[in-house]
Amino acid sequence: MTQTATMSTAAGAVGAEDVRHLRTVYSAEELRLNFGGVKALSDVSMDIRDDELLAVIGPNGAGKTSLLNVLSGLYRPQQGRLLLNGEDVRGLSTHQIAKRGLARTFQSAHLFAGMSVLDNIMVGRHHLMRTNPLQAFAYFPWTHREEISHREAVEDIIEFLEIEAIRHQPVDALGYGLRKRVDLGRALAMEPRVLLMDEPMAGMNVEEKEDLARFILDLREARKMPVVLVEHDMSVVMDLADRVAVLDFGRKLAEGAPSDIQRNPEVIAAYLGDAA
Amino acid sequence: MALLPSGVFAESYAADRALVRTGKQWVALGLFVAFLFVLPLIFGTRLTAIGNGILITAIVVVGLQITMGYAGQITLGQAAFMGVGAFAAAALARAGAPFWLCIPLGGVAAAVFGLLFGIAAARIKGFYLALTTIAAQFVFQLAIVNLPTDLFGGSHGLSVPAASIGSLRLTTETSIYYLNLIVCIIMVCGAFGIVRSRYGRAFVAVREDDVAAGILGINVVGAKVLAFLIGAFYAGVGGALWASYIRFISVEQFTLFNSIWMIAMIIIGGIGSIVGAIVGSVVVRGLQELVTALGPVLNEVFPAFGGQLVFAGMNLVLGGLITFFLIVEPKGLMHRWNKLKQAYRLWPYPHA
Repeated sequence: MTQTATMSTAAGAVGAEDVRHLRTVYSAEELRLNFGGVKALSDVSMDIRDDELLAVIGPNGAGKTSLLNVLSGLYRPQQGRLLLNGEDVRGLSTHQIAKRGLARTFQSAHLFAGMSVLDNIMVGRHHLMRTNPLQAFAYFPWTHREEISHREAVEDIIEFLEIEAIRHQPVDALGYGLRKRVDLGRALAMEPRVLLMDEPMAGMNVEEKEDLARFILDLREARKMPVVLVEHDMSVVMDLADRVAVLDFGRKLAEGAPSDIQRNPEVIAAYLGDAA
Repeated sequence: MALLPSGVFAESYAADRALVRTGKQWVALGLFVAFLFVLPLIFGTRLTAIGNGILITAIVVVGLQITMGYAGQITLGQAAFMGVGAFAAAALARAGAPFWLCIPLGGVAAAVFGLLFGIAAARIKGFYLALTTIAAQFVFQLAIVNLPTDLFGGSHGLSVPAASIGSLRLTTETSIYYLNLIVCIIMVCGAFGIVRSRYGRAFVAVREDDVAAGILGINVVGAKVLAFLIGAFYAGVGGALWASYIRFISVEQFTLFNSIWMIAMIIIGGIGSIVGAIVGSVVVRGLQELVTALGPVLNEVFPAFGGQLVFAGMNLVLGGLITFFLIVEPKGLMHRWNKLKQAYRLWPYPHA
């Protein structure tokens, strides 16, 4: 099956018109982020709705990764509001936002090198586990049972991502595509309400891209989870996304259905260039 | 990858994460523990005394392994944490507290002291943190020397009442050995529990990539502080045992030099392995005893060196060992052992 064929069939499942009525899960209002004199984000507002795939595109330096870092709590915006399930999470640290249901994957995977694939994904369960240090020291039967029950959840993810054969391998021995899959598995293990993906397809070959696109579509179907995708590959964005937001020089240029974005003259001028 | 002997497969998740995987491993472990229990009966007092030193050191170094090997927080203050535990336990024992309570309380006192430096680790990393933890040594020394002499003995040191459980007085080398052995076994089992739990994974995650750890829902500062807390607790328990074993403690027993020896044990045994910490303690303490025993002999052969020979020899061994291992086997003896096991299991095939 070709790449386009796989993607376009499932992308039709949720059209841009249906998405408008969905509940907002995470909303960013009038974010402003400056690094000294550099305006990384100026008055960027964005709503992430239930069960949609929102793609964020823009030329290099447009502020895409900055936006993701603000949404996940790595950067603190000078101004604006961040509402995750109605709760203001601006100013909270990354682990506090993570506990409230936000997960993300990294452009360069950022795996924990000294650990196996299994342990990397088990780290995602950390905030769902209740064992305290004394119980860990004593290693009670119920501590053991908690480990096993979370292991079962992790094994579901391992099966979903088709990485059963490498579960005990150290992650530094893995190739690029598999690392990205482990990174995704780790995020899924957190059982998030929103998933942010920072350029998941960057540096992948066509086959790896197809695999990952399939996983993204499957996980949306199985888990009904909103996904925010920062991506450079336009064919991926146009095929996968329900909505597209375009950033340029820290401002939001446009937002809408992929087909509208493709026709938007401002976007064409700023991003796709005259050739498009 | 954890390579198992051929024909051994895990059929449940519990079996897949078990530490002891085969019947033969259980037999080996049982025989080893049995050997430790009969050691004082077979060998004389001299070896039992060496065994006592090793057991106490092993507890402290296992704690250091959790702070440094797992959580990646370099600390040069482990001997000071041990000292805090020793002095706290001694002061409590002199005040009439029951002995069995002094040991955990010594650990708690050291953990509180370690907490101060764990908080420093929230803001600084690597070399800067290592330098900050050196301060623990000096703070400890200054505090003991300047605190009330009737409580902590000041610069003269402090004599410690004999350990006793109920009416049983633990004064002989052998009875102390069994106390140390039992506490050591409990602490080592606890360490395995911690590193296999969510905390062990959180520690390694923080060590490898603290940004990603935070994104994954781990409180990075909390994990670092906890690592210091646990490491210092182990040191304090070791210190409390040391106090009741040696019966006279002074600040000179817990110097920066001792801390560096402990780091040498981690490097030699293998960073990031509980067994490695124990192996490192045994090997390094064994070598120290060897140098001490050889001292008088060498003195006779080279009288020109005089009494400094043992001290100088100790430094040479320490420096030489660390250098040798960092160049030849930076991952330590446990890594070499695992490679040997893998090679043996694959033999005669060169590759998996």
